[in-house]
Amino acid sequence: MSTKDLTAVRRGVGIRPKTSARSAINITKKVVTGFLYAIGIIFLLLVFLVPVYWMVLTAVESANQVVQNPPLFWVSAPQWDNFVKAFESIDFWHYTKNSLIVTFSVMILQFITVIPAAYAFARYRFKGKKILFSITLLTMMLPAQLTFLPVYLMFARLKLINNIMTLILPFGASGFGIFMLRQSFMQIPEEILEAARLDKASEFTIIRRIMLPMALPTIAMLALFTFITTWNDYYWPLVMTTTDEVQTLPVGITGLQNIEVGITQHYVMAGNILMILPVVIVFLIAQKQIIKAFTYTGEK
Amino acid sequence: MSSIILQNIDKAYGKNAPVIENLNLEIKDKSFTVLLGPSGCGKSTILRMIAGLEAQTSGTILFDDEDMTNVPPENRDIAFVFQNYALYPTMTVRGNIEFGLKNRKIPKAEIAARVEEVCSLLDISEYLNRKPQNLSGGQRQRVALARAMVKKPDIFLMDEPLSNLDAKLRNQIRTDLIALHKRLNTTFVYVTHDQVEAMSMATDIVLLNKGKVMQMSSPAEMYKQPRNVFSAKFIGTPAMNVISSGKSNISVPQGCAYVGFRPENVMLEKKNNDDFCISCDVASTEMLGAETVIKALSGDEIIFMRAFTSACRPEGRQNFYVERANLCYFNEQEERIYE
Amino acid sequence: MNKTARLKPLQPGMRKAKPYLFILPSMLFFAVFAIYPLIYIIVLSFFDRSIIGDMTFVGFENFIKLFNNPEFGPIMKNTVVYMVIVVLLTTVFSMLVALLLQRPTRLNKIVQQIAFSPYVISTVSVVFVWMWMMDADYGLFNYIIGWFGLGEVNWLTDPNVTIFSIAIVSVWKSLGYNAIIIIAALNAIPKHYYEAAKLDNSSSVKTYFRITLPMISPTVFFLVLINIIGALKNFETIKLMTAGKFDTTTLVYFVYQNAREYFDFGYASSAGVILMVFIAIITLLYFKVLAKKVYYR
Repeated sequence: MSTKDLTAVRRGVGIRPKTSARSAINITKKVVTGFLYAIGIIFLLLVFLVPVYWMVLTAVESANQVVQNPPLFWVSAPQWDNFVKAFESIDFWHYTKNSLIVTFSVMILQFITVIPAAYAFARYRFKGKKILFSITLLTMMLPAQLTFLPVYLMFARLKLINNIMTLILPFGASGFGIFMLRQSFMQIPEEILEAARLDKASEFTIIRRIMLPMALPTIAMLALFTFITTWNDYYWPLVMTTTDEVQTLPVGITGLQNIEVGITQHYVMAGNILMILPVVIVFLIAQKQIIKAFTYTGEK
Repeated sequence: MSSIILQNIDKAYGKNAPVIENLNLEIKDKSFTVLLGPSGCGKSTILRMIAGLEAQTSGTILFDDEDMTNVPPENRDIAFVFQNYALYPTMTVRGNIEFGLKNRKIPKAEIAARVEEVCSLLDISEYLNRKPQNLSGGQRQRVALARAMVKKPDIFLMDEPLSNLDAKLRNQIRTDLIALHKRLNTTFVYVTHDQVEAMSMATDIVLLNKGKVMQMSSPAEMYKQPRNVFSAKFIGTPAMNVISSGKSNISVPQGCAYVGFRPENVMLEKKNNDDFCISCDVASTEMLGAETVIKALSGDEIIFMRAFTSACRPEGRQNFYVERANLCYFNEQEERIYE
Repeated sequence: MNKTARLKPLQPGMRKAKPYLFILPSMLFFAVFAIYPLIYIIVLSFFDRSIIGDMTFVGFENFIKLFNNPEFGPIMKNTVVYMVIVVLLTTVFSMLVALLLQRPTRLNKIVQQIAFSPYVISTVSVVFVWMWMMDADYGLFNYIIGWFGLGEVNWLTDPNVTIFSIAIVSVWKSLGYNAIIIIAALNAIPKHYYEAAKLDNSSSVKTYFRITLPMISPTVFFLVLINIIGALKNFETIKLMTAGKFDTTTLVYFVYQNAREYFDFGYASSAGVILMVFIAIITLLYFKVLAKKVYYR
């Protein structure tokens, strides 16, 4: 642009907008990126939704439809009976009950252990705090795939195998929970706690009236996290049990493969849909908090 | 009824050099005492030690004649207003104000009466059921004051309570606080780095620097009779001019190293024969409405002059005159000396 | 005012004990279910421990037996191959997905949530769906492949493919999780860098490699470590998809098999100790990164 142009622009007279070659390139670029974006989104949606669709579709097919070649992409008469059959052919309610007991016991136990520990780590100075907190973080990294061995032998010696406690007690405390809640407690400004002290609030009152309500979103996130991971857990109930007495849904559900000779896929899918339903519902209600909890790395 | 006496107070954090060393201070009963100083001078630490939120490393703090060393903060009969208000976000305004009274097991009827009284005084009755997050800065400030007042404490401690407010609101609350102090008739201890705040509200100012008391006096005396260069240069906008006495045209007391004078005492014309005189170059002239501030240079020293007429617009090389009675002399250690 | 009422005797002993009381329950659980197993598995690797419970000290015999096992080489190979495939695919794809979904529009947020959802769904269910789609005779995959005139693939039984099939499922499950963490890192980059680059006529590819990538590299590194640990620990998909057959036995599966199927606990522990060493190395790195991310930002 020459100086003359600039003066013209300033005066605001005699300018006619021109579509130059430069803006043409820009427009092409926009069209191309827009096109690539659309392709990418469609591809992603296919990758993530087709398996879900396939699961639901199979769950309502009849045995004949399941083995049709080429596969069906739509069924006009869904076989809702598959769900009933899946529910009845294994002891679905028994496994569900175990799952519920284990999940909620773990959640309650973790509340009792995690809250005071996180509070102490956040608000107290004491000897050995650093090392004890390191141990807490370390437990987050210890794979159950290794620790199961000594724990199994220990429970065996105590004659506790196939006791529901073997599925609850090992998860009685949570390093992740302590870590997350500690961060949340530490973010509460010191002055608010000092103000409460000057207001003659006891430590218990401070925790109950100020700290816990302020940390409530974190506690809710933690509860969702524990609920989902415990409900979904397959490894621990598999290795800790030898009979189906205390087995939970993820282990029990695998039995659906063998309820009949021949094709059982529709029952397997129906049963699995029933199993994941609670998690799906919780996810639909609170996906923001759940994503936040699972992707939590301690950063603000 | 409480005066506050600090005796031989030392304060150090861990093994670091002490922030406060051998501090002795008496805050008079029913005074409005302002602890004034630049950031890092230890003024907030002193306030927090009075409150008991921090323990002194050594020394004694007395309320009247009672040793407070082992008395926890909640039993000291004080109220503390924090810089960021520290309102409980989990409670309503009413909850915030009542909290301390409820914890003290005061009967319900009395709580209600006291809350009512405080709220009408501070004009916050209409927000009682709101959460602090939904209030403006000024409203939060008032709630924080209400929470302190409702306890009817012997001593009010305030840590820069106005620093988060805009200038206009600050002026207004300043006048409110003066009225409040008169009405409550208790001891106020107020921390600020803002000398205007200190001058306008205090009955007594404690000027601090690097953990030491530089001067303690009434605002008027602080302004007229600075006891040292620090005090002279901290108070007033622009502050007192303090220049090396070597350039002086008149005789100065024995041991004098610096001469100080207030900008408003600078004259462009000689009044008496023994007027102090310094020649300098005018660098800039700022018209501020009622007054004009002239900045001039003499060698590498900057001299300010305040004139209360807009007609005053000196330029170029000028002689500045100051009457002898308006001069302050300081020795090599920057302490005030007298003729 | 009553002067003695103000004084409240301090109880220093009680105050000191308080934090320990608060952490005690958690520490008890950690001691029994984390620290003790960690130590005991090392002890166990030097013993012959059978199902009936008698223990004989055998020194390094379990390890010698393990290294001389002709299966050991292939198992290590499977473990490493699986890990490399998972980490590579997850990193590359999640960075692409992150780029695609970075802008905080409504549509992008919904797609992010959809992509994340497999991460919170039971692995058992995920595996069943994929196994069904990978079914050699009636599966969706072989049908689609048929369109392009390609022959059937035995996804779950062909030893050349199985490890890859298992890896795909793991990648699918955690892709959204990885992408969301990268998106958070992308959005944390101050906008003015991009504005400056734009005014400097930097092409978008150049901007990506010179500004974006260096700025998100700590996050990507952190994810790579998490994914390595995840891949080393992976058990469920293998157990359900192939039960360790068709060249899919990894170290974790080997530990499980020897402990819970052959009841050879000492031998299983020695393999477990090898796995532990790997995980420990990665974990140390992880904590170095975590410490930086949490405390120095």
